[in-house]
Formats: sequence, C-alpha cells, structure tokens
Amino acid sequence: MPASSADWLADARRAALEAYEAEPVPTWRRSGFWTTSLRDLDVAALEPRRYEPVAGRDALPAVVTDALDDEPGALIVQRGGSTIHLDVDAELVEQGVVVCSLEQAVAEHGDLVREWYMRRLSASEGKFPAATAAFWTGGVFVHVPKNVRVARPIQSVYVIDEPGTVQYAHTLAIVGEHAECAIREYCLGDDIDGQALHAGAFELYARPGARAKVAHFQDWGRSEIYDISTKRVEIARDAFVSWVPVHLGGRLTKQALDIVTAEPGSDMRHTGLYFTERDEHLDLFTTDLHEAGHTTGDTVWKGALTGNSRASYEGLIEIVENAQESHTYLQTHQMLLSQKAKGDAIPSLIVKTDSVSASHGGTVGELDEEQIFYMMSRGISRIEAVRTLVEGYFEEVVQRLDDPGLEQLVRRRIGEKLLAAEDQVQEFVGHRAGAVQGA
Amino acid sequence: MSLEIQNLHVRIEEREILRGLDLTVRKGETHALMGPNGSGKSTLANTIMGNPNYEVTEGRILFNGEDLTEADPDERARAGLFMAFQYPATIPGVSVANFLRMAVNARREEPIKVKEFGAMLGEHMELLKIDRAFTSRYLNEGFSGGEKKRAEILQMAMLKPEIAVLDETDSGLDIDALRIVSGGVDALRGPDMGSLIITHYTRILDYIKPDFVHIMLDGRIVREGGAELADTLEDQGYDFIREEVAAADAS
Repeated sequence: MPASSADWLADARRAALEAYEAEPVPTWRRSGFWTTSLRDLDVAALEPRRYEPVAGRDALPAVVTDALDDEPGALIVQRGGSTIHLDVDAELVEQGVVVCSLEQAVAEHGDLVREWYMRRLSASEGKFPAATAAFWTGGVFVHVPKNVRVARPIQSVYVIDEPGTVQYAHTLAIVGEHAECAIREYCLGDDIDGQALHAGAFELYARPGARAKVAHFQDWGRSEIYDISTKRVEIARDAFVSWVPVHLGGRLTKQALDIVTAEPGSDMRHTGLYFTERDEHLDLFTTDLHEAGHTTGDTVWKGALTGNSRASYEGLIEIVENAQESHTYLQTHQMLLSQKAKGDAIPSLIVKTDSVSASHGGTVGELDEEQIFYMMSRGISRIEAVRTLVEGYFEEVVQRLDDPGLEQLVRRRIGEKLLAAEDQVQEFVGHRAGAVQGA
Repeated sequence: MSLEIQNLHVRIEEREILRGLDLTVRKGETHALMGPNGSGKSTLANTIMGNPNYEVTEGRILFNGEDLTEADPDERARAGLFMAFQYPATIPGVSVANFLRMAVNARREEPIKVKEFGAMLGEHMELLKIDRAFTSRYLNEGFSGGEKKRAEILQMAMLKPEIAVLDETDSGLDIDALRIVSGGVDALRGPDMGSLIITHYTRILDYIKPDFVHIMLDGRIVREGGAELADTLEDQGYDFIREEVAAADAS
C-alpha cells in the first residue's frame, strides 16, 4: 500500500478483502447454452507487477503509441500495477482540471475522492469487484470542475504487456456542474506468451448540467488476456453523457456496463460495438437504469463474430417506480461471419411504472446474399463486398463516437480483423450461396 | 459486340422458369422485352447477371463470344454487363458516392482521380436531376421508389456498360419520375451501348423507342418484331397473344 493511503481507504480495502475471501470464483450461467467460465484461467499463477515511470511519451510501449494518434489534453498511462506516464496540458491545470493516478488523488484531493469513491460500485457485487476494490494500485482520477470546458480529450490507458500478471484498475471521474469534456479510456494488450488478467472498475459521475463524451476502447490483442470489469456511469439532473464502449479483442471478457439516468432531465446515449475472432469469448451485460422521471436514453449495440468466437450481449432497460415520463429504447444487432461462431443478443425490459415509453429490439443475422449479389453485379469482388457490408454495418455506431481520431482507429482495426478472417468469411458466404443453389 | 443467349433453361428451387430462351442483343441496339407477371422476365435478368439463386440447367450465355454462363456476377460486370435492379438492395453505411467510386475502380487498374470522378459524377447527376446532397446518403437507405431507380441509372451512366439490362425500371414510378429516368436512359443510348429494357407496361416505350420488341410467355419468347409490336400489345393485351400462341401450339 502506498504511504499516502488514507485510513478511510484502508478500511474500505479491508472490507473488500473480506468480501473477496468469502466469494468463490464465479461461473456465469444464463438460461440456454450460455456459460462464462474461468476454468482455463490460472488465477493463482498471476501476480501484480510494478514498473518505473518512463522518460516521456515516446518511451511508452509501442502498443500504446500505436493507438494514440493525436495530442490529448491529458494523458495518463498505467502499465501493470503502476502509473508510468502522466502529462497534463498546462491549460487544463490552469482551469483547475485534475488528472492523475487515483493513488495520488487520494493523497492530494482526499476529501473529493472520498466523497465519490465507489458511490455506484460495491465490493459486494462478486469476487472480482471485491478483488479490484481491495487490490487496485495506480488508478485514474479525473475531475473537471464546475463550469469548465475542456477542449481536447482526456485520455487514460491501461496496458498489459507481460504474461503472468494481473492488473487491478480503478478509474474515478467526476465531471462537475455544467462542465464539458471528452474522456477516452484505452485498454491495450501486447502480444504476450501466457495469461494475464485485467480486473477493472470504472465510475463516472456527470453532475447537473454537465456534458460528457466517454469512450472505452478495448483491444487486448491476440493474447490470452482476460478482462472482468464493471463500468458505471451516473448522470445527474439535466446532464448528458454519450458513452461508447468498443470491444475489439481479448481472450475472455466479462463486463457489466451500466448507465444510470438518476435525476429528472438526465439524458444519455449509449453506443457499443464489438468484434470477436478466433477463440475469443465476450459476455456483456448492459443496464439502462432510469431512477427518475423525465429521463431519456438511446442505446444501440452492434457486434460481429468470426472464427470460433462466442459473443453474448444482454441489454436491460429498467425503469423504477415513479419514474414517469421516461423515454428510452435499446436496439442490438449481431452479425455472424463464420460457421463456427456462436452468439446472441438479448434485449429485456423491466418497467415498474406507467406513462413511460420504452422499446427494444434485437437481431442476430448473417450477411445478406442479396446485398452481396447487388454489389458484385457492379463489378465488386465478393470479399470486397463482404468487407464493405460489414464496415457499413458498423458505420452507424462508429460515427456515434463523434471523434475523428478514434473513429479512424476503430475503422482500421475492424478492417484488419476482416482481412484476417477473409478466408473463413469467404468460405462461409460461399457455402451459403452453394446451399441456396442446391436447394 | 453482343450478348447472346442460347436455348436457356433456368430453374429456381426445382421449378423451371425459363424453358429454352434465345435472344441476341448487340451494341447500339435497344430491345424491349415484355411479358405478363410470372413469364420469367426477372429470372432472365437475374440469370444474365449471374444471381446464384438461379440455376442454369441447359443453354449458354455468351458475351462478345465468351461463355459467361458459369461466371461470377463481378466478372460479368467487369466484362461490360450491367443490370438495373427492379428492387435494388440497401447498402447501409456506404454512401452513394463511395459506392460509385468502388464500382468504377473495380474495373480500372489505377483508382480514378478524385477530380475526374467528381466531374463525371456531376455531369450524370445533372442529367438525372439528382441533388448534390443525394450522393452522401447511404445507398438506397430510405430512398423513395423514384430515387432508387435514379440511383440505378446513375450507376449505369457511371459504369458505361456495353450491354445493360433494365429490369422493370419503370415500375412504381409516377409520370414525372418516369420521364426523368427514361430521359436519362434515352440520353445514354448510343452506338457504344446495347440495352434490354424489361417491362410489363408499354408506357416506358413512349420515351425510349425500341429497335426490337420481344414478348415472353411461360419462359419463352413467343413473338418478336419492331416497335409496332408494342402497340399491338397495348391495344390487344397479353391474353390475345396467349390465345394466339395456344392456337398455334394446338395446330
């Protein structure tokens, strides 16, 4: 434990440790065929690792510099268990914006951290939330004070580039009253030979009238990196958050992504994207929780699956009692691009009040032969048609990032994944065309 | 330079739709192919373009002497064939302009220069009275019937095929849209393009005068003639032809 840890935090960690020790390693089962199990992960063999800070941005691991393509307003990078880089624009410092490790924030902004820390998260949610609450190191803290507008995005990075390691991560962000900012959080993995685990927590509080753009970009790469995380966003009165989680890689990912419109007038847009390949396993559960009336939400999640991968998306809209005049909808689509991939996309609804509008829809589909034929009739090859159709399918959600640099990165990664899956996509589509012809 | 269809038999899901069809369309000629619903007109168009849902069981499709019966649709397109779809597919996330550029580049070694592409696009959009904003919309997404057909003809104009098959391009259009679309097709006619205009009605032929008219019934061409054949059809209807054919078959 760093010397700066306050007593309140030590108490919280102790309680979390007890919860951690009392909980078994979970297996998540849902009705039907879906199970997310950690039986292939040797948790006991993993340990946290600390690293020294790097000399500057250029000295960051390549997997990080490859993903960052513009000048951030602030950049904080955590490798394994340690913050290795922190750079905050002088202008932000002048504005009173705080971006630093959560460890440092506990020491320097103790009262503020204590006020918000784990307001919406709990160590009693299970083994891994408890582990994260007990063991996190480094961490990220963002505070944008009241009425401050931050022009360039605040960026945080968690990177894993050594096998046998576990990274307990905790990000706490507070966007003050009528403040405006964009926050991007990257989770990046290098190609490593062996297993690793990221157990993360993310909490963001948008205070009354605030406007925030939040993006999560996860690409753990082709290694055996597991990710078990909980991310929660709370939106206060008349505030707006656009939240875009992007999942582009990881051996196994199990995440809860919750967005709470907590007070009248709070509004959100939640847009997700995932692309799974090879033997990846992705299990996402999102909740769109309306805790007050006159709140609005708009959720769209789209995914595509190649290889032998598994992806499950479950999206819940929950509107509590007395939250009248809430309006929200949720759509989810999933596209299967190989014969062996399996997935599902399940929207659901719990409404405990009247006078609301809430609608949801979900589809799981394959590529449309009619669209492919149409494109081929214009001279476009089958594989280019398929690539274009998949990219086009994602375009709606990519554009909701509303961030040209990140949009470019996401498009590029999707393009690379499609290229890597070219043979199976070709074969799958060809197989289907053949089946129709033979019918 | 020609499209030659010889003794074509086509099946879809065990049902024989085309039963020995012969037709030749040369560059510079305009043919109208007419027939009642279910006579096999759209099957012919789709088979010419290589839709994998249609199975050729006999006969061949030659293009400039080359046998394309088994060729993939993209190969046929690059060879110079084009089909304007009756019900074009929607391509979400791909703008009209991007789609056109991709299609134009598919038949070139070097990608087309931005300026050249822009000039070509501008010229054809004017011809079809298409608004600038149209090209940034996703292809066919939320398009009206008239917009879809105009987008088809815009593609035809940009791709400059040797032989174009227009599958019921006139269907579902009001008079104004029909005038614009058929005016566009008429302007693209010339010695370098042959066309096969497939239609149920004769009204499109008021705007595009065909050199040849073919009438199809039950998967075969049963009558052929010049533009005047369309007038006969307009006056007397398909039943008349059907009776005539039945009488001829009986004798």
